[in-house]
Amino acid sequence: MPGYANNPPRNSHFPQAEVPAVHLQDVSKHFGSIEAVNHVSFHVVGGSIVGLVGSDGAGKSTLLRMIAAMVRPSSGTIQIHGLDAASHKTGIKPLIGYMPQRFGLYLDLTVEENIEFFMDVFGVFGAERAKRKERYLGFSNLLPFIDRLAGALSGGMKQKLGLACVLAHEPKVLILDEPTNGVDPVSRQEFWGILGQMRQEGMAILISTAYLDEGEQCDQLVLMHKSRVLEVATPEAVQSHYSSLEEAMIHRIQEVDEGLMHEQFGL
Amino acid sequence: MNPVIIKAIARKEFYHLVRDFRSMYLAFMIPLLLILMFGYALSLDVDSVRTVVVDHDKTEVSRDFVRKLNASSYFEITHHLNDSSTAVRYLDQGLTTMAIVIPPEWTEDLKADRTASLQVLIDGSDPNFAGISRGYITAFVEAYNRDRLISFLNRKGMEVIKPPVDGRIRVWFNEDLDSRNFIVPGIIAIIIMIVGAMLTSLVIAREYENGTMETIRSLPVGGGELLLGKAIPYFLIALIDVLVAVFMGQVLFGVVMKSSFSLLVLASTIYISVALSLGLLISIATKSQLVANQMAILITFLPSLLLSNFVFPVGNMPRIFQLLTCIIPATYFIDILNGIYLRGLGIAHLWPSYLVLVGMLIVLSNIGFALLRREGM
Repeated sequence: MPGYANNPPRNSHFPQAEVPAVHLQDVSKHFGSIEAVNHVSFHVVGGSIVGLVGSDGAGKSTLLRMIAAMVRPSSGTIQIHGLDAASHKTGIKPLIGYMPQRFGLYLDLTVEENIEFFMDVFGVFGAERAKRKERYLGFSNLLPFIDRLAGALSGGMKQKLGLACVLAHEPKVLILDEPTNGVDPVSRQEFWGILGQMRQEGMAILISTAYLDEGEQCDQLVLMHKSRVLEVATPEAVQSHYSSLEEAMIHRIQEVDEGLMHEQFGL
Repeated sequence: MNPVIIKAIARKEFYHLVRDFRSMYLAFMIPLLLILMFGYALSLDVDSVRTVVVDHDKTEVSRDFVRKLNASSYFEITHHLNDSSTAVRYLDQGLTTMAIVIPPEWTEDLKADRTASLQVLIDGSDPNFAGISRGYITAFVEAYNRDRLISFLNRKGMEVIKPPVDGRIRVWFNEDLDSRNFIVPGIIAIIIMIVGAMLTSLVIAREYENGTMETIRSLPVGGGELLLGKAIPYFLIALIDVLVAVFMGQVLFGVVMKSSFSLLVLASTIYISVALSLGLLISIATKSQLVANQMAILITFLPSLLLSNFVFPVGNMPRIFQLLTCIIPATYFIDILNGIYLRGLGIAHLWPSYLVLVGMLIVLSNIGFALLRREGM
């Protein structure tokens, strides 16, 4: 697979474009009789952060895994920069950086060896390799720990190293599944600092999170509950007249649950 | 198949290997220990039987008998004891393997043409060793009888009776019946199974257990690239182990190959690949290091040791086990190595075994590949 190394030059004015970076059209996924994702449509443009929020088991991880071409949708289409995710699996992987919920780093490899492995796979060599190592480990404040084994890092540092690894091939779409779960507030802030920088550079970022203060930093929120998308809107619009985002979300979710109760039991 | 990705995986796998103490130990120490153990300690040959003698007779004839016994290279007389009970104690305490008791009036019986009995006690706790010792002493007594008979007839001026049948036994391929000649090829087969299958059975299971399989799957890494990349470091180590075993066999035990070295390398290459595909297949199927390791011992290491004609002769096994040996890769590899080491055979005679191994390689690697594909690689 030649050509990974020849990514187009970084462009700070990424075309916010006719073709969205991620485009979902009526996407569903069921495992046997269980509906995990139910007729979901939305899109993410370059240079924006879209937050996926909602209750546990709402189908966020499954949705993200489908976008990262890890599982095929049962129906509907997912396009990454115009390429169909299901049929161009190998073609879109260089475009994506995906950090799974339980991101596996190699704990017996050093910080440097971990990021080098990702660059090896994507064929990043030569001067570019040194530059990117410097840049992405620098972002994460990991340069002083370059020779430390990944297993000896704190939880927050591990997540930042994970982020540096998935950024090292300079993807156009970043998919992060609850990357800051259980991470201390300072590391979380640093993590979001990096995301902000990437947004400025035109990256499309899709992140699921359980922290609603993080939700407020997104450009768009996708509110999911029981495998459906309830709302796609800016954090302000989701919050509307409620005092906090959290209150607004709980209210919306309860509304839906009551509606379902009525449907099912005719209450 | 992208060589860049294969190299990336191989490099990472190499780091895992050198940082894992247990793997390194299995890869280098176990082969060395096996060679030394099988070569020295577990030698199946009996060089000389440690013997104590109790001579109650104490005559010129009995002393001559003992002298002849000691002169033969098969017996090593460690002690001359005064009574049988001490000899029994020596046997009990394992200080000797055999005790020979010459009764009083032994010479008189001989001279009076009565059958003179000789008591021989053998430690039977090691049946193999006891059997060989019994063979040695039986042959020795027979030879002694024949000599006495001949000299008796000679003295009487009678014609010497020739034995009706004289079996002339000549052993081919391993002229000295030195079991080391046979052990070196067997050891190479076992080492390859340990390094090839037991070590690699951990490598994919480890990715599943550490959650890094999800990472790998998110990268543009294909199943074939993953398998090949993971196999490369283990392939090299196994090949080094083979060369060390061949070298040690030559230097320490004087086991010299009669046929070509390149045939050995070719056979080892194929057999290592078979072992690697088997190990990787187990790893993909079990997804757990513990289960994978147990499985590897059960279906690769033990059959190679027990059912490959190495330790136990296949000919003596029940029919079902004989059939079982046909599906064990080590059987064919040991067959090739024996051909190379002992018989000096070339490819013209050995190609069927090579072909079977190549067939096994194709089948096993394709199953592994298909399993990975089902996992979405």
